[in-house]
Amino acid sequence: MKKLTTFIVILVVVGTLFAAGTKEAKAEGAPITLEWWTWDPTMAEENQQIIANFERENPGVKIANTIVGTAEYWTKIRIQANQNKLPDVFTMSSGYIEEWAKEGLLYNLDSFVERDDTFDLFYQSIFDTNKAISNSDSYYAIPFALVTTVLYYNKDAFDRAGLAYPTDGWGWDDFRSAAKKLTIDKNGDGKIDQWGYWFYGRYAHVEPWIYANGGTLLDRSTMRFSPDKKAMDAMKMLTDLVLVDKVAPAPKDMSAFQQQDVFPQGVAAMWVDGSWFVDTFRKNVQHDMRWGIVRVPSGPSGSNTLTYGWPDSYALAPNTKHPEMAWKFARYVAGEGIGLDTYMAGKIPSAKKLATDPLFSDPNQQPGKDMDLLIEQAAGPMTTSYSMGWGEWRGYGGSEALGLNGTIDAIVNGLMSFDEAFRRSTESINAVLKRYYK
Amino acid sequence: MARWHASVPVCKDKLMRHTPYRWHKPLTPWVFVLPTVVGLLAFKLLPIVSALYFSFTEWSLLGSPLFIKLANYRELVSSEVFVRIVRNTVQFSFVYVIGSMVFGLALAVLINVQTRGIAFFRAAIYLPVVTSAVAVGIVWNWMLGPTYGVINNLIEAMGMTPPYWLADMKLALNTVATVQVWKMSGYYMIIFLAGLQNINADVLDSARVDGANAIQSFFRITVPMMASTLFFVLTITIIDSFKNFELIYAMTKGGPQNASNTLVYDVYLNAFVYYRIGYASAIAYVLFIIVALMTIFNFYVRKHLVEGLD
Repeated sequence: MKKLTTFIVILVVVGTLFAAGTKEAKAEGAPITLEWWTWDPTMAEENQQIIANFERENPGVKIANTIVGTAEYWTKIRIQANQNKLPDVFTMSSGYIEEWAKEGLLYNLDSFVERDDTFDLFYQSIFDTNKAISNSDSYYAIPFALVTTVLYYNKDAFDRAGLAYPTDGWGWDDFRSAAKKLTIDKNGDGKIDQWGYWFYGRYAHVEPWIYANGGTLLDRSTMRFSPDKKAMDAMKMLTDLVLVDKVAPAPKDMSAFQQQDVFPQGVAAMWVDGSWFVDTFRKNVQHDMRWGIVRVPSGPSGSNTLTYGWPDSYALAPNTKHPEMAWKFARYVAGEGIGLDTYMAGKIPSAKKLATDPLFSDPNQQPGKDMDLLIEQAAGPMTTSYSMGWGEWRGYGGSEALGLNGTIDAIVNGLMSFDEAFRRSTESINAVLKRYYK
Repeated sequence: MARWHASVPVCKDKLMRHTPYRWHKPLTPWVFVLPTVVGLLAFKLLPIVSALYFSFTEWSLLGSPLFIKLANYRELVSSEVFVRIVRNTVQFSFVYVIGSMVFGLALAVLINVQTRGIAFFRAAIYLPVVTSAVAVGIVWNWMLGPTYGVINNLIEAMGMTPPYWLADMKLALNTVATVQVWKMSGYYMIIFLAGLQNINADVLDSARVDGANAIQSFFRITVPMMASTLFFVLTITIIDSFKNFELIYAMTKGGPQNASNTLVYDVYLNAFVYYRIGYASAIAYVLFIIVALMTIFNFYVRKHLVEGLD
């Protein structure tokens, strides 16, 4: 009887395993349709080309691409998530990885990443940035592009002022000294026509200086807003550029400008922002102005080798019926199967073969060999201040007049003192963080 | 003849029994209104009722709503920012309603003349109404810009120091409300114009013969005779005054320091930027209560003041 029972149990177990194996084999052999959601409508044609190539290389696989404009993407895909209908592969923002991973809405890619020698093909540093952003020990997204922050400078303005161009070795004093000499009233009407520098409370304008001074905004152990002295020093240095040194305009004086137009229109000679503006300047400025990029100057307490950078990624639905094929396609669109021409200039491919393509630092286009800096940054250490509720406490997009962004603007616009502004914002930012990290 | 007479009842009876509308059943009208009713239920009533439920929940759209009783409302009433936002909303509404009515009526009076080329002015004044609010916001941002803005340049040319229209906490909200008045006055002008043209010219002529000057005629004859129109415009301006999202988004994004943030903009921020659907629903219900109170006030005014004047 005992033997019979053992035999039946073995039969059932083996049978189940066999059936499961057969089912998977059938699923892999049967036609597969993968849903792929992206947020960039300008990429419609390129996406179709990618799909055609992938389908040709993988007979029996169909890719259905849905492009949702950036403004509606997150609302729509959240509803998909709510309905348990996430697409197999979808574009993921660094700003949401932690929240989505905690909610169990992202496929854990650890086993795939380890099995497939992923870092032979992709930069591990970019994957690890994603892991750090997810506030976990796992990979929940495969990055396809990294963006970093750099100091843009107007070579023509530097030449006119007889100044040497900035270098990666610059510190705050070098920067301030140049900014003073570049702040010029050209026609003597008492109004500054060219400012040395331009910034406002925007994340990409402020955080690079904090990290290049070794500072942090969040206490990661408690997940509370607690800028350390190095961070406060960096923000004080920035606000003093407007209030004390008077080498940068207050944001209220630039309200008629789109923020990204101040530098290319020659109203400011230096500017720190995301590397993706390389593409904008190539298209809009062309050869009207000569410009270059370098690392953001190091602070007295830190080093600019630590880069403020974050990836755009693809994630897999946790309930995808075809995880193997979804992973294969995600790797394909993250770099394996695409060309450098599908990238906006200034976005650094996470695939090494694309990033090391000589055309990435095309000498015939500005800023020429300066583009090598972006590859160096991609391979080096990176950090961010992303957390759950980041958009709200930082003041981003529709809320950019509020949060920390609004706080810094209030200081440089003369609405509040530095200390008063940070006393108030620390309270309100922590009220946001307390909701997410109870 | 008798035969003819005899045939009449037969015909009538036949008609009664074989009416071409005999398919008409009491249920028939419902078939016609059904699409509208279903639409109203699905896209208006259901979301309104759902929002009431969501206002008692915490929900980021990702998981299931978590019922948290009155926590959202407690957070609202204890928030200094929210009190400020309510005050901003009422202030925006006040500036908009008064501004739109005064300018709309003034423009209507000015162009209520039959002269060559008047159609051009009517069209020109109406043009901002049909212009995208975002485009209006961007252009006004340029014009109000402190460094290169045409308005500030004019003020400077007159030897005065121009203010920071959108960066000054005391001015930002009123500036956006004024731009909204500029944009929409043409719409109310058309309604006022229709009201003005309904006034019997003989009444105004009689008043003139009796010695009334233009101001006396306007305040003692035109305005009272337009009481219904005024009330109608008052009602719709109050409703429109809460639709201020687009200009705020284009001009100030609620800043500086929430100085131009209103309930509608805050609903947008919480629902579609922060994904706090429950909290946004609670704000929406506060807005609903304010609008309801204003509507009740409107009907009170109509009942006690306007009907007497009609």
